[in-house]
Amino acid sequence: MDRVSTPPVGTPGPVRPARRQVRVSHVLLFVGFLLVLAGLTMRTPMGGIARDPRYAVPLLAIAVGAFIAWYQVDANHIGRWAGRSAWGRAAAIGQVALGVVLAAIGGLVLMTQGRGVEGVWNGALAAFAVLLGVATVAAPFLVTLVRNLEKERIARVRATERADIAAHLHDSVLQTLALIQRRADDPATVVRLARRQERELRSWLYAGQPRQADSLAERITAAVHEVEDDHGIPVDLVITGDRPIDEVGEALVMAAREAVRNAVRHARPPVSVYAEVGLDQAELFVRDHGDGFDLDALEEVPADRLGVRESILARMARVGGSARVRRMSDGTEVALVVPLPSPNPAPAPGTQPPGIPAGQLDAVEQETLP
Amino acid sequence: MTQTVRLVLVDDHAMFRSGVKAELAEASVGAAGWAPEIVGEAADVDTAVKVVSQTRPDVVLLDVHLPGGMGNGAVDVLRGCVGLTTEAGQPVRFLALSVSDAAQDVIAVIRAGARGYVTKTIRATDLARAVARVRDGDAVFSPRLAGFVLDAFGSTAGEVAEVDEELDRLSAREREVMRLIARGYQYKEVAKELFISVKTVETHVSAVLRKLQLSSRHELTAWAVGRRIV
Repeated sequence: MDRVSTPPVGTPGPVRPARRQVRVSHVLLFVGFLLVLAGLTMRTPMGGIARDPRYAVPLLAIAVGAFIAWYQVDANHIGRWAGRSAWGRAAAIGQVALGVVLAAIGGLVLMTQGRGVEGVWNGALAAFAVLLGVATVAAPFLVTLVRNLEKERIARVRATERADIAAHLHDSVLQTLALIQRRADDPATVVRLARRQERELRSWLYAGQPRQADSLAERITAAVHEVEDDHGIPVDLVITGDRPIDEVGEALVMAAREAVRNAVRHARPPVSVYAEVGLDQAELFVRDHGDGFDLDALEEVPADRLGVRESILARMARVGGSARVRRMSDGTEVALVVPLPSPNPAPAPGTQPPGIPAGQLDAVEQETLP
Repeated sequence: MTQTVRLVLVDDHAMFRSGVKAELAEASVGAAGWAPEIVGEAADVDTAVKVVSQTRPDVVLLDVHLPGGMGNGAVDVLRGCVGLTTEAGQPVRFLALSVSDAAQDVIAVIRAGARGYVTKTIRATDLARAVARVRDGDAVFSPRLAGFVLDAFGSTAGEVAEVDEELDRLSAREREVMRLIARGYQYKEVAKELFISVKTVETHVSAVLRKLQLSSRHELTAWAVGRRIV
């Protein structure tokens, strides 16, 4: 249950194809450079040196090393380091090291032609001393440079995030506030707008909880919110547990929608809904604070109460569940219970659950609407 | 005789503080038999710690998201006020009050020591009762908090503690109480439903609160880690 996970910052996904292109173009450039070099060395006085393997091999080594290292230390790549995996970083560092070593060996061999082991040793020592000196002088500059780069990158990420938030607030909250101001004389609409915006903002803020797109909890939430929107009465919703949607779940969602609609239409708020999706059964309770109604007297009540009997009781019975209406000292509670088959993969979206023919569902739906 | 409850309000919105003040003044005597005495207000973590330490109130109404401190809002206030007692020797008690109902916020403030958690949409009379309950050392669970608890302790999946003292799971009775609270029942309705006294319901809820604070169940620690609690 990883509810605190945040997406990694600063690594836009679609960078990779571009990077591959750069790689190809670099290789082509390098091959071209080699060809030009080869062409030059054929006829010129320089050719003598270049054709001599004593010079040509170390020169080639330097060129290859420089290519490998340069490719890695491209400014763009430094910028992306923070977002890389440990493996990616290690590979990058290895690449640079390989390039440097190749170039160094090439340079060393080139400079110490025919001077024996001692000559090589002296040359290496001298080169090392010079490098050390340069590094000492340049280190502070390099450190500042890297730091500035990092700062800039963070600032850029922040600016992007800010722009995202601003864009979202503008599209949602500001729009709703404008609407509310214009509809200020209509309290029901204002409440509805505010409630919808609140819900939307909440789901955006706490989006870190990845519920399955087509799960039972998701469907119950959607159904309850729909009723809320239609009637402008807030419904407190608590759901525990979850499972993929199936035909039984579908029936539960529809019955729940009817029960909630009934509660907000005929009763007084607060209306609260609690759904518990267990391993072998799902329960759903709709509690309101109205005067309640008597199931035994259903025969006498007018047409819209037919919704309760048909769309709640009958629907539950069809999937082997039960519905119970309780009158309490303060309000009414509708309890829906359905047995659950062992979890299986959710049916593809759009397919009708096999147990209930489509026509029948529609008929029931229409019957319940006033 | 109506008792007075000394209160501190901590919220960074002045408008909300004055709203709560007005609501409590109206609702508390009638609904819960006590009169509020607001002894202090604060709008950020550091002021809150100072005001609470100085006034040592019975109950602190604490917003979850606050500026200042280490950036953890209410959790920092709770840490800064550890061990404070009122003049009567009772511990200073905290009731978290927030618009956020994200799991990690709820779990974080409870684990940091709050005696209850309610959302700001709560009705004035319910808030008045909640304050009285927290003042008496009992716990206050909103339906949503009860839902979190059932989820976090695996009760939905049928996990039941063998003995009541077990910290990582709820006992069958505690689960029953939590389920009824999640269904929107008041404590007295829970009591009636289960044929027990309101006092027993309170005992069960306090036991659950204790488990919520002390348990090392993975789900709870994972939520708390998000707010650097553990």
